[in-house]
Amino acid sequence: MLGALARGRWPSLARSVRYHRPRGPFCGVGTCTGCLVRVNGIPNVRACRTTVHDGDAIETENAWPSPRFDVFGTLDVLFPRGLDSVHGLRRPAWAIPLYQRVTRRLAGFGRPPSRSSARTPPPPTIRSADVAIVGAGRSGRELAAALRRRGARPLVLERRPSSAVASEAETVAGVDLLGSVTVAILLSPASREREEAGAAHELLGFDDRGGGLLVRTRTVVLATGSYDAALLFEGSDRPGVVTGDLALADLGLPWGETVVFGGGERAREVVERLVDHVVAVAAPGDISPELARAAAERGIPLYPRSRLVRSVGRGHVRAVELARRDGGGHFRLGCRSVVLAHRRLPNAQLVFQAGGARRWADRPGAYYPTIDPTGRSDVPGVFAVGSVARPPEGGAPTPDQVAAAVLGAPAPTGSPPPAPGRSRTGEMIPYYRELLREPRHGKWVLCPCEDVLVDELERAVARGYRGLELGMRYTGVGTGLCQGRYCLPEAIAILAGLEGVPPPEVGVVTQRPPLVPMPLGALAALADAVAEAPGS
Amino acid sequence: MTLARSAYRTVVVGGGVIGLYTAYHLHRAGAGPILVLDRGRLSAGGSGRNGGGIRQQWETRSTIRLAREAVAAYRRFPSEFGHNVWFRQGGYLFLAESAAELDRLARVRDAARAEGLTVRLLGVPDIERLVEGIVPGACLGGSYLATDGTLYPYPVLWGLLEELRRDGVEIAYGVEATGVTRDDRGRLDGVLTSDGRRATRTVVNAAGGWAGEFSRRCGLEAPNVATRHEIFATEPMKPFVEPMVVRVSDGLYFSQSMRGELVGGRTVAHRPGTDGGVPSSARFTTSMARALVGLLPRLAGLGVLRAWAGFYDDTPDGLPLIGEDPRLPGFVHANGFGGHGFMLAPSASRRVAQAVLGETTDLDPQEFAPGRFLARGASPRSERLQLG
Repeated sequence: MLGALARGRWPSLARSVRYHRPRGPFCGVGTCTGCLVRVNGIPNVRACRTTVHDGDAIETENAWPSPRFDVFGTLDVLFPRGLDSVHGLRRPAWAIPLYQRVTRRLAGFGRPPSRSSARTPPPPTIRSADVAIVGAGRSGRELAAALRRRGARPLVLERRPSSAVASEAETVAGVDLLGSVTVAILLSPASREREEAGAAHELLGFDDRGGGLLVRTRTVVLATGSYDAALLFEGSDRPGVVTGDLALADLGLPWGETVVFGGGERAREVVERLVDHVVAVAAPGDISPELARAAAERGIPLYPRSRLVRSVGRGHVRAVELARRDGGGHFRLGCRSVVLAHRRLPNAQLVFQAGGARRWADRPGAYYPTIDPTGRSDVPGVFAVGSVARPPEGGAPTPDQVAAAVLGAPAPTGSPPPAPGRSRTGEMIPYYRELLREPRHGKWVLCPCEDVLVDELERAVARGYRGLELGMRYTGVGTGLCQGRYCLPEAIAILAGLEGVPPPEVGVVTQRPPLVPMPLGALAALADAVAEAPGS
Repeated sequence: MTLARSAYRTVVVGGGVIGLYTAYHLHRAGAGPILVLDRGRLSAGGSGRNGGGIRQQWETRSTIRLAREAVAAYRRFPSEFGHNVWFRQGGYLFLAESAAELDRLARVRDAARAEGLTVRLLGVPDIERLVEGIVPGACLGGSYLATDGTLYPYPVLWGLLEELRRDGVEIAYGVEATGVTRDDRGRLDGVLTSDGRRATRTVVNAAGGWAGEFSRRCGLEAPNVATRHEIFATEPMKPFVEPMVVRVSDGLYFSQSMRGELVGGRTVAHRPGTDGGVPSSARFTTSMARALVGLLPRLAGLGVLRAWAGFYDDTPDGLPLIGEDPRLPGFVHANGFGGHGFMLAPSASRRVAQAVLGETTDLDPQEFAPGRFLARGASPRSERLQLG
């Protein structure tokens, strides 16, 4: 749908929730709020993840008369440093109900679903399996193949349509593949109402038609991979600033001159893909020899050890301003797109939902699940394979090792899952410490879903509300539709720098299910099936 | 965290809304030095996990009186404490599906009217106007009070905390109270904490979901039972429903927050205990979704954004424990609010402070005295309009 809406232009589909700032496609993997549209009367549909059908009624959201020219965009101009909803809007006391009425009108994102959208959802899909693999990316497919070789028949759950997976090279025959489904909740027996030996895990989710999905399985393997992180700078929420995931998603967007931010393998992939457009490669640290070689072949200039200070433009990006981290001055690069490919983070939320312990990894500066060398997590019956399990240099278990463990091979002796990390650093902490010393001319939007500014997080710390949980409650960071996947990793690094403590002391936010917004109709349709199970 | 003093006049156990408001009233009465202890973080317990509903429709007149006073306090809160709590008086609408439930709501109306509140009984057309898109035949009627509403709970805590700290009241999060000590005549003379013993003659148990556990650790049998209640929030939408809607039969409740999220819960078989564990169950999420879509079919395509759980501190008669424990003078209860502590905090904790100071309160001992459970037989009164 996003490709259809773009048609050679950068689509402008909505304005942001608080200040009505322009929003554009950002993540390309169905997580952010950059491409939400109203489809057939249902709000907040992610265009990048939706197949367009003839006769679909697609409307823009949260803008009038249109996202390109939105009257309420004046709010962004009227409150250049943001609006303090905790201490402001309370004087004079008699006006409070009036403030509330106005604020309430402006709050929210889409209009409620139309009455005509109320259809009985399709019957739910209810399946049982011995082994369920979440994700049919490379690791998921390789694991499925390894299990097949050992005579098992795993059920593979995948967000993309089955046809998209079937066209990939390593697809294996005999694997039970369920495409076009999104897994949103993982309940392990240990985390459910009653603990029972041998009880099944439950995966709850939905399919692309809004039908419910319930899978009961003895063993779950997460092959959910990783995603490109966001980055905070002034105007980092401007349309044209995107992640490497979007750049590699082939959605037919008009890239124009592109600045790639990142110094490693992911940035190299982006450079290869967008080669005709890339005008510069900048990175927060060093640039890998492979990337440097790829850039040199095409005469692309390199800017290692740089920080992105701000984006410039009215609406869409027209240029970015960078600064050398080793003390050099600021400089500008004209561009129409900025691709963030500087660090990849694990899609590990389902393990944490099931109660798995987190382990901090300095590189890339993120929490990973606690996984042993055979892919076992510390939640019985939950495994992980591929880049969700370990950072690239962390020696992720191979699909063969995981397959053997899934089918009952004993855990290797003498190597219990590593204890939760007690690390002292994270590579983004000094980066943000330097960045936050830059003068601010406009809004620094830390959380684009809820329009939370980094200034608000700084105020929270200054008032004594320390740590991520209190910071989240004080500012709303992490409470938006992306479930904090883009803002919380940055918030951890920023808070660690502000408070002068190692990241694990900043704390974490409890993983509140579901992983992605799950339609009420799909959940409702599962009520009977869930109620039948003991202990659910 | 290290405590500043070796002795306090009053130690309040629990840094949630009840504990902070109690400390506030005590401080205003000059009853320092005061120490507030909490084993967790600010807003980690029920005060940070509730749906923000503030209502005055109850079965017992005493509860209505407390609630009415609380509404006035929350209206004043922004000017008194400098924090905007977004108390939006959009009303509370109770839905009745049977004649018996309608009768019950009529009794609530009569009790509220006797306290000067104009609760109205509504017919179906009025309800259909208040809840756009409600399924035909969803109810027989309901009761409605326009001055009930919802607020944003966190700023209440921030406002109280900052005010108290400015005035030098000591509030220690991350310090657990583990019991009390008695002198050789059996009188309360101190509190045991994870930072050692502190001398005091007065301990207030405002520990919310952990209140029963704390009483028992102090050697006092307690009727409190902690139960885990779940709640979820949907994606934010433009406003479409003004009041908090509550269905009497199954305790389904929901309201639309200032941010536009629909926030609600429902009575399911609530699991006892206060172990943290994983916050949400499939049984709650799916049955809540079914109840909501059953009432408002248009919401089928709307996404559930997040689900979480908190603890109700329930008592057998549905009324809180407010006042000194007859078995241990100096041990004052401020607990048993059954998931409605936020609704009553400003007014109920004023009575708690009075009890600490040895003043008589206007509360009927048959309804609120902690000693009422020591006598044989059932409590003479009860409050059963506890839902969710």
